[in-house]
Amino acid sequence: MAVNALLIDTVRCTGCRGCQVACKQWNKRAAEKTEFFGGPGYQNPADLSKDTWCLVTYNEVRLGDRFEWVFGKKQCMHCNIPGCASACPVGALEKLDSGPVIYHKDKCIGCRYCMLACPFVVPRFEYGSWNPYITKCTMCYDRLQMGEIPACAKTCPTGSVTFGERDALIREARERIASNPSEYNHHIYGLEEAGGTCVLHISKVPFEKLGYITDVPRRPVAAQTELAMKSIPAVMVGLAVVLGASYKLRTRAHLRGEDAERPSGTT
Amino acid sequence: MVTERKGAFGIGGAILFVLAGLGIALALYRFATGLGSVTNLNQGYPWGIWIGFDILAGIALAAGGFVVGGLMHMFGGEKYEPLVRPTILTAFLGYLLFIVALLVDLGRPWTIWHMIIMWHHESPMFEVGWCVMLYTTILLLEFIPVVFERFNMTGLYKLWKYSASWIAIALLTLFAIALTQSVPWVIAIAAVLILFQLSVEVGAIYRHPRMPTLLLMAGIIFSTLHQSSLGTLFLMVPHKLHVIWYSPWLPVFFFVSAVATGLAMAVFESILSARFFGREVETDLLRSVGRFLSWAIICYLGLRGIDLIVRGVGSELLAWTPQCTAFWIEIVVGSLIPLAILLTPELAKSTTWLFSASLMVIVGLIVNRVNVAVIGITSKYSVTYYPHWMEIAITVGIVSAGVLVFVFVCRHFPIFSDERSAKGAG
Repeated sequence: MAVNALLIDTVRCTGCRGCQVACKQWNKRAAEKTEFFGGPGYQNPADLSKDTWCLVTYNEVRLGDRFEWVFGKKQCMHCNIPGCASACPVGALEKLDSGPVIYHKDKCIGCRYCMLACPFVVPRFEYGSWNPYITKCTMCYDRLQMGEIPACAKTCPTGSVTFGERDALIREARERIASNPSEYNHHIYGLEEAGGTCVLHISKVPFEKLGYITDVPRRPVAAQTELAMKSIPAVMVGLAVVLGASYKLRTRAHLRGEDAERPSGTT
Repeated sequence: MVTERKGAFGIGGAILFVLAGLGIALALYRFATGLGSVTNLNQGYPWGIWIGFDILAGIALAAGGFVVGGLMHMFGGEKYEPLVRPTILTAFLGYLLFIVALLVDLGRPWTIWHMIIMWHHESPMFEVGWCVMLYTTILLLEFIPVVFERFNMTGLYKLWKYSASWIAIALLTLFAIALTQSVPWVIAIAAVLILFQLSVEVGAIYRHPRMPTLLLMAGIIFSTLHQSSLGTLFLMVPHKLHVIWYSPWLPVFFFVSAVATGLAMAVFESILSARFFGREVETDLLRSVGRFLSWAIICYLGLRGIDLIVRGVGSELLAWTPQCTAFWIEIVVGSLIPLAILLTPELAKSTTWLFSASLMVIVGLIVNRVNVAVIGITSKYSVTYYPHWMEIAITVGIVSAGVLVFVFVCRHFPIFSDERSAKGAG
């Protein structure tokens, strides 16, 4: 099955925030009351939230002798092997073969382990509600089902957000870097991060300058728990055998003596 | 005698009632308005002291139930019998309190039953949830004879005696099905357990007169998995947990430190309740528990030390950061000083020193769990987290309620050995 993905080319981004608005409109997220905050100038709002699943970040980066805006895009990375989905005890988060990581809100119990497990700090919890859910980008899974492309990709006027098949987009990203090596930082963010993701980013400057989390493990975080989870049955059988044998040996004398009430002798 | 005991309840009891009441009121407020209104949890720190203290530390403090009640039974030592009922009671109450704390912490606690039918066996949280459910059931079965004895329900007692083992086998098999989803493993586990129980039934293995052995065995297996699975939870966060604590051996550390804490809790509780209820302290018994405790601490320190050296974390330990300071508090207070006390023969004989050493082990454990869940977690992309006073008040309320229930049960049910033997004689 074709694995869908998004390619974010921040070199082409003009910071119009069309994707941010389209995302909000399609997913019916409420407007937020925002305020000025220190740091990245015109960026609004400051961070992803339960109502902002897609955010254009504004970064003032020194290029040569002058400062320039370099934009970034924050959203769910749709990992190939997502920490959130591996962490969820009830399978409320699910990785689809077609790419998106989607959320079944009816299953969620609100334990917030997905938030801890996500290496990109993406899932947002509705702390203000008595009946809270996790929220995050779904790669517009509902649109994909209707044969449409995600709202952010549909609306982007400069071709900075491209929707397509993951392998094709990786080739496309490599071509763009190769054909314009001085304009691009030679790194595809999401190719290896967290074991690979279905949202790929390319940029003019190193990603740490855009505030991206760059010390992400290169293996899926779920790989770390595999051994512990797989050893459960061995621990069960091992303990049962050792405990049973130990008890049997210890009580041999009682068995011969057949003393009914209180085993004695151990002092 | 009875009136005198009730008199001892006085001011301390009143304070506990007020604290428990405040905790309940705040918890109700939290259910009406959401987690945001009573906690400082945020998008970068989804877990706070409720996870670190109430849940991680709370479960480890309940480990006495399987360490004393279970391991002693398996590996010998009927002399520890007087400690079994109090530790099982503590464990049972501990787990019930833990479930209350979990319901407060979960965003949608009324959906907690989803874990029973929506299986996701790769998730460490799924393992944790199943261990809680099934081990609490086992603890109830271990505790229930006390109730039968109290109300002279001989028929039910007999029913329990002959069915408890089979219930335990059923629960262990169900757990194996849910967590492995592998037919060969399920058959292997069920076969070993059924073989053991059949040997007991036909008389090839000694049938313990009071406690079905398989019930305790199930308790040990579920506890081992539960204690270690709480460590497994944090294996998922190599990118967030500080390098001092993030080790592939985290589940093993959680288990070994829980065993030490289980022993420390047995000592701590025996001395405290002996004073409170005006009974004799079982000094000899506690001294030998103290010896086991020193071995557990040595094991724990050895494992942690080797791990830190192998992973090359040595230089990190001397930095002047909150994480390093927290680490040293955990090790010095929780392991080094109590070990020194227990290994000094003059001190190890004294009840007071024994009490101090176990209290320190308990404090060290709590610091360790809070370190792993809160202090060691770094989230660069959000404001940091400090507990809100209401989070602390709810925790204090839950613990106060637990102490009140413990005292109530100790007063009205045959928990301590002298009461039981007195009853038997009379």
